[in-house]
Amino acid sequence: MPQLAGDPPLAAPAARTDQAVLALHDVTKTYPNGKVALRDVELVVPEGDFVFLVGPSGAGKTTLIKLLIRDELASEGQVLLDGQDLARLPRRAVPKVRRKVGIVFQDFKLLPTKSVWENVAFALEVTGTPGRRIGPAVDRVLRLVGLAAQARQVPTQLSGGEQQRTAIARALVHDPRLIIADEPTGNLDPLISWEIIQLLLRINEMGVTVLMATHNAEVVTALRKRVVALEDGRVVRDEVGGAYHRED
Amino acid sequence: MIGFVAFSIKRAWQGFWRNGVMSLAATATMILMLLLLSGFWIIQTGLNAGLQFIEQKVEVVADVADTATPDQVTTVEHTLEAMPQVQSVTYKSKDQALADFRQRLKDRGQEDLTGYLDRNPLPNTLEIKLKNPRDFGNVVDYLQGQQGVISRVTPIQKLVDQVVTVTNFLRTAGAVVLALVGLTVLFIIVNTIRLAVFARAEEIEIMRLVGASDAFIRWPFIFEGAMVGLFGAIITLAVLAVVATPLQGFMYGFFNVLPLEFGSLLLRDLTLLVLGAGLGLGILGSYVSVRSYLIR
Repeated sequence: MPQLAGDPPLAAPAARTDQAVLALHDVTKTYPNGKVALRDVELVVPEGDFVFLVGPSGAGKTTLIKLLIRDELASEGQVLLDGQDLARLPRRAVPKVRRKVGIVFQDFKLLPTKSVWENVAFALEVTGTPGRRIGPAVDRVLRLVGLAAQARQVPTQLSGGEQQRTAIARALVHDPRLIIADEPTGNLDPLISWEIIQLLLRINEMGVTVLMATHNAEVVTALRKRVVALEDGRVVRDEVGGAYHRED
Repeated sequence: MIGFVAFSIKRAWQGFWRNGVMSLAATATMILMLLLLSGFWIIQTGLNAGLQFIEQKVEVVADVADTATPDQVTTVEHTLEAMPQVQSVTYKSKDQALADFRQRLKDRGQEDLTGYLDRNPLPNTLEIKLKNPRDFGNVVDYLQGQQGVISRVTPIQKLVDQVVTVTNFLRTAGAVVLALVGLTVLFIIVNTIRLAVFARAEEIEIMRLVGASDAFIRWPFIFEGAMVGLFGAIITLAVLAVVATPLQGFMYGFFNVLPLEFGSLLLRDLTLLVLGAGLGLGILGSYVSVRSYLIR
């Protein structure tokens, strides 16, 4: 949506969150059945940040992620992604915004009939990337996640960690500003989980913002990154260098 | 744009073959439904042709007075032929009528007793075929006014009423049955494709998550639906072509009283129907099935 230059009411919040990849202001989400999943959430994530999103099941983590990829719209408040208000986005502009976000799930969501290489290339093909640019881009992200040797294998031939790395490669192939990982280690054993976390840390060091929802207390406490805790739809804690549990 | 179309067709082709079981099920359903539709279409066409033939059997027969001169008869004939309701007028001489009568007796194997007659008791007649059996009024009125030329006009009111009642009922019933079969075919095909698309809901979800636009999600499925429809239609037409010759023989035998034309016209209509229904339903099915997965 083109904004008119010098339009004060619209320009002000955009300027306030200039450096933020994503910002939620007073966001409340009420589902049609009356359930309130998020209440007055205020969250600003600057470029290059690494944020753990923690909280018990049903605290609103999944709803928050759905708002960020505009799978759901906020009932009240503003969700800004890279400065764009998702509620004001016309339908046809949604796919372009989604390409700025790479998303990784607990269950990998890989296509079983396609090879590792094809699964990653798929993300480019279906967004209309010219064929000559697909090959180099896929090869690059597969090297980055360390799967160049497994490129021709199909997901069933891979370990869980390799499948998750394929999903991360797919999330990266659009050069996103933000990676959202929803319980990426939920299906993996501790050793493999650490491999995945280290991969996400490396990606973060390359300048990509990472938001990771997790129940993995060991990882969160060990890394001392920014921790945002949700409880019953509210942000109950937001501290830099925090642990999984409240420490005071 | 060309790239997009090429991409969609390529994806449709891959989608069709990589989901072999679902594609096979959808195509098989398509074939069976198109055969069902074709069958009812053929029956409906035969029924209509038969009804038309029966309606044409209804004709006004006028007995020509023995005193009438050939000129007078010719004038009446021309006047009738000029009337808009009239299909054709045939003059049948009494000799011809007697010959026909004798032939009929012979065909039935009955004894011919007409040889005992001292003269031909049958009149010369004019047989008037009508375009629509209901429009006999003007013709009958005109004939009854030709005193001295026409001695008698057969009363056909009751016959017409009965025939038209029956043929109208059968026509309506045929159309209703065909429409019901058409609706059944529509719902079954759309639902089959819906199942095939549902089996790939995860693929669509991934496309949405990685930022594919609606067009990139929708068009491959529409092309795939068109492929199912086209394959189904071609196989259906092949099956029809194989059974056409024996079927036609049977139909001619069955309807041998009727001068029916199961010729190129029915063949053309049937081809258009099968291709149109196959492609149309394939595309429609894909369109409505994918729509529910797109961005809300």
